[in-house]
This record gives sequence, structure tokens and C-alpha cells, in this order.
Amino acid sequence: MKKHPMLKYLKESGPCGDRLPLIMCPGCGAGQILNFIFMAIESLITEKGYYKDNFVFISGVGCHARLTSHYLNFDSGWTIHGRTLAIATGALLANPELHLIVITGDGDTGAIGGNHFIHTCRRNLNLTIVCSNNKLYGMTGGQSSPTTLNGETTSTNPYGNFEADFDLCELAKTAGASHVARWTTAHPTQSIKSIVKGIEKPGTSFIEILSQCPTHFKRSPSEMLRDFKKQTVRLEKMDETTAGKIPIGEFQDIQKPDWMSSYQKVVHSAQNKTIQD
Amino acid sequence: MDHLIQPGVHYLQGSQACAEGALMAGCSVYAGYPITPASEVMEHAALRFPQVGARFIQMEDEIASSSALLGASLAGAKAITATSSPGFSLMQEVISYAIMAEVPFVIVDVQRPGPGQGYITASQEDVMQARWGHHGEGSAISLAPSSVQEMFDMTIEAFHLAETWRTPVLLMTEETVAHMRERFTVPPRESLSLAKRKKPQDLGIQPDEYLPWGHGVVAPMAAWGDGYAFNCVGLTHHEDGNVTKYSTEMHHRCISRLKTKIEGHVDEIARLETFYLDDCEHVLICYGSVFRTAIEAVEEARKNKGLKVGLVRMVTLWPFAEEKLRRCIETTGTIFVPEMNYGMMLHPITAALRDRCERIVSIPELGRLHTPELILSSLSRELQ
Repeated sequence: MKKHPMLKYLKESGPCGDRLPLIMCPGCGAGQILNFIFMAIESLITEKGYYKDNFVFISGVGCHARLTSHYLNFDSGWTIHGRTLAIATGALLANPELHLIVITGDGDTGAIGGNHFIHTCRRNLNLTIVCSNNKLYGMTGGQSSPTTLNGETTSTNPYGNFEADFDLCELAKTAGASHVARWTTAHPTQSIKSIVKGIEKPGTSFIEILSQCPTHFKRSPSEMLRDFKKQTVRLEKMDETTAGKIPIGEFQDIQKPDWMSSYQKVVHSAQNKTIQD
Repeated sequence: MDHLIQPGVHYLQGSQACAEGALMAGCSVYAGYPITPASEVMEHAALRFPQVGARFIQMEDEIASSSALLGASLAGAKAITATSSPGFSLMQEVISYAIMAEVPFVIVDVQRPGPGQGYITASQEDVMQARWGHHGEGSAISLAPSSVQEMFDMTIEAFHLAETWRTPVLLMTEETVAHMRERFTVPPRESLSLAKRKKPQDLGIQPDEYLPWGHGVVAPMAAWGDGYAFNCVGLTHHEDGNVTKYSTEMHHRCISRLKTKIEGHVDEIARLETFYLDDCEHVLICYGSVFRTAIEAVEEARKNKGLKVGLVRMVTLWPFAEEKLRRCIETTGTIFVPEMNYGMMLHPITAALRDRCERIVSIPELGRLHTPELILSSLSRELQ
């Protein structure tokens, strides 16, 4: 049987035994998102001379985080819930040559790691965040997240969610990220292009990909993907007739110094002053 | 390197000596969050790390600063932060992960009295948190400096231990020492013991056979970027990081490895200092800055009160040097334990020595350093 071309980026087994299959439920969007990231990296390696060993994946806890567990044939950290961006910050300070791909979910980014998310964007650290937003906590059993839509029923909102949902792209944009985009798992080509652009872009890139959780929403994956097409509208086509639709596309793409290039200036000026004792 | 502190005599605050020690140890990342009375470490790092070409960042909170150490260390750097007790509480999550994943770095806790915000003066109220504060089994190494010289020397020692044993090391200091200004001597860098973590490539281990948690008591650690596809995990894991096929036996293996690494090597890791034990009839056991007034009280008691009191200073708090203590105290009358808390290290000391002495007396003090008179009056009252 012909193997999937991206399988080379996974570890099928290791010294202590088999690692595959992935634990995702059938129809989950997480595998698609991992595939998008691999396709983006593949094109950067083959077309732009990027070095595979410099890619490091970091994730926290949740379904999406399993993508960065022991399956990856890349350096990776399957770390602490919410702390991914702070951990990535440390890695970047230690070695600015690394291309950090931080895979987060709506909980990791919008709830427990919200503060780190804001400040990473504000500092414009040179890393790429890919947020798999399935609008609930999948791993723990389908509880509400900060992006759960108003009115949606979940295991912690049995009477329907009465809170407002968070727009993570608007948050990233306002906080100062260089590159911000939103797509869905029904937009593979656009997602891959955005990830490529995000990795190439100096500074923080935030790419949100709306993803389906057929298990907890109790719906068919194909139906959910069709809905992603119907419910979304390109940002530039938003007007009074598209009210209630989810904007997709590029929210921000600006040139500004990333943290490390600004820090190098600090080092330069510090080294030209005398040491205080 | 040109910008490192020069060998010779210096006059600095303990906090500043700590930051200088970190740079001397080859630390290249400082990630911190301000808190009284630990901010001076961070402020000095802010000044000095850029001069040396190392990296300094002010994070958004203590959770973030400790998390940054984790990432920096995994990417191959020596990293440090300093905080005080409420911030230390926030770092327990990262300490727990770092113990499980065996990630070396150094956290300085300039302890202040608690609970809650408590106050901003001196304290030794976090010494149990250093051992038992994180969730789960496993332990870090904790050191207790008592002078500005030791804030410098033991920061270097902390990195040496972290790199040797692939573990977080906690420098459990106090406001007393952090804010103290004293002369101290910087030795030539060549004379320092400065271990660097073993790497699989140095041992001839290929990526496909690499066990990030295997190959012996202390596993070699590849840095991210080295080409080893090192998957760092915090879940119970096999030696290669595989987390499938979980069983309680697998968990036992994973955790007993952590225990063997630290608690199984106490004699190599932990240090005690002893004074006047040869002829003593009673012993005082202390740590941290309390040593400074305790030694004065003991000398005064011997000289002017005719009390034959010896002193043991625990330089390392954790792992607890039970066997070393039992070897140096075979039989004695009263054991005194002065601490800036209501009696915390008193518990492991009691467990270790209750059959070696007539009784154990706690000398508590809260929010400030014991005066020699306080310790002396306790010795006189109990022994005369």
C-alpha cells in the first residue's frame, strides 16, 4: 500500500514500540490541521531551503496537543496546559534560529493561556501559532470554551451557553501580532498558504483554523465541513448582508520589528557602556 | 566573556551576586517577573545579561517566567529566574513538569513570610514547599546560602547540580541574604566546577536509538535543534518518550527512576557543614542566613556560658541528608533547631535523629532573622 507522503514527518514506532495510530476520533479536524502544517513545512524545506531540524513543535494539553506528543519526527514539547507560548518564548531566547510552531486550541489560547497569548503578540516574538479552534474542550468531554457560541449546548452549559464568545483573531491583531489569519478545515489550500506565510513572517503569526468535533457536537464531519463553507465569508466581503457570518481571511499582515531584532539593539547599546560594579 | 565579573574582591548585594553567579555559570537566559524582595536579582540581570550578550526578558507573570526556563533549557540553554514566595507558589506547576521531564534550570526563591501576601521581610516558610509544593512524586534539589559569597558560589553550584543531575534546582534564600551587602571574592572562571549536561551526540548515540529518559541514571539530553527529534513529554512515559501502553508497572518504572536519581544519590548531592562536634554535648542544626547568628550564639555559649554546643549547617535542604546527619550525630543531649518558621525542617530532622538525642527543641522566629541573643537565651534556658 502506498504510504501517505507526510508520514515521513511522523514516528510510526520507536525503541519502545509502536506509536501510531493517532488517538483522534474518526472525522476529527486535528489530523487535517497537522497535515496542513506538514505541507507548509514541506514546501519551505523543498522550495525555500528551510532546515528540518530547526522546526520545533510545542503544544499544551487537549486534543490538538496530542499532535505534538510522541508521534512527531520533529523536535517537540508536549507541555503544560496554557503555557505553550511562554515555553516557546524561552526556547526562542535560547536559540533564535529555531522555527517554533505552537499548536494550540481554543482553551490553550483563549482561556488558561490567554495572558501568554496577549503578551506573545504584544512582544511580536518570532513564532507561528496554529490554533485549532473546535469551540469546545474535546479531550475532557465536550465542555464549553471561550469560543463556544452563544446558545450552544455543551456538557458544562446544559441549558445553553449564555456568555459571549471570544474572537481570537481580533485579539491577536489588537495585541500586535504581525500576521493574523482565520480559515477552516474546509479551506486546506488557504490554510497551508497562511501557515507558509506565517512561518516566513518575522514576528508573531497567528493562524486560527476552525475545526470540527463530530464526537461532541454529535454531527457528521462532512456536514460540519459543509457548514464551515456556508457560515463563513471572506473578510473583504463583509457587509450588512453578511451579519452573523464568521469572517475568514487575513486579518493582519504588517512589517514591524520582532522581539529579538529589538533586543539585539539593546545588547549593542549595553555592550557599549561601562560595567557597573 | 569579556563582560563577566572580574576575578577579585567585590562589594555587592546578595541579589546582585546571584545574577553575577548565574552569568559566571554560563547562564544565557533570564526570564522573570518582579516581586519584593526578589526584584533586585531581576534588576541586576536586566542590567548585566545584555552586556554579556545573554538574553533577558520580563514575562507577564511568574507562571510565564518559569515556563520560559523550561523552553530555554529544552533548547539547550542554562536558564534562571528569581521570585519570592507568592511567585514561587505559581511556579509549582512548571517545577512538577520539569521534574517529570527532567529539565534542568535554576529558580531562586527569596522567601518572604506568608501565607497570602504576608509581608516582605525575611522568612524560611517555603522550605517544605520546595520539597512538597508540586503535585506528584519526585523532587528537585534545594540549596540554602547564608552569605553574599554563597549567593554567588551557590548559584554556580545550583547550575552545576542542575546540569549534572538533569533536574530543576531551587536556591532557597531569604530577604536577609538577598539584601545583605558584603565583600565577596570572585575566583578565576577556570577554577570553577561547571558541569554541562551530557548530550547523546557526545556519547555516540544515534537519533533512532536515543532514549531521552534512558541510557543510565542520568539520561543524556539532546537540545531542540540538534537533529534528535526529541519529543519532550510530561505524561508517564517509556524511556523513549512513548506514552502508549500505559500500565501501573510503567508508571512505577518511570517514577522510581526519578526517585533513584535524586534520593538514591543523596551522599553525592547533599552537603552539610559541621562545627564543634568533637566535644559537644548538644547540637544546633540550622540552614540559610540563620547560620550567621546561630554560629555566633554557639561560640558565645561555649566561651562564656560553658555550654558544649556543636553546630550542623545544612547547605542542601533537599534531598534531605538523613544518613549524613546520622553519621555526624551518633548520640547527643538536646538538639536545637532555629528556623524562620514555626518548625518545618524540624520534622525531617526529628524523623532522622529522634533516637540519637534526648529531645529536640524548636527555636522559631517569624518575619525576621533570629538574634544571637534569642538563640543564646533558648540554649541557656533549656540547658541550665
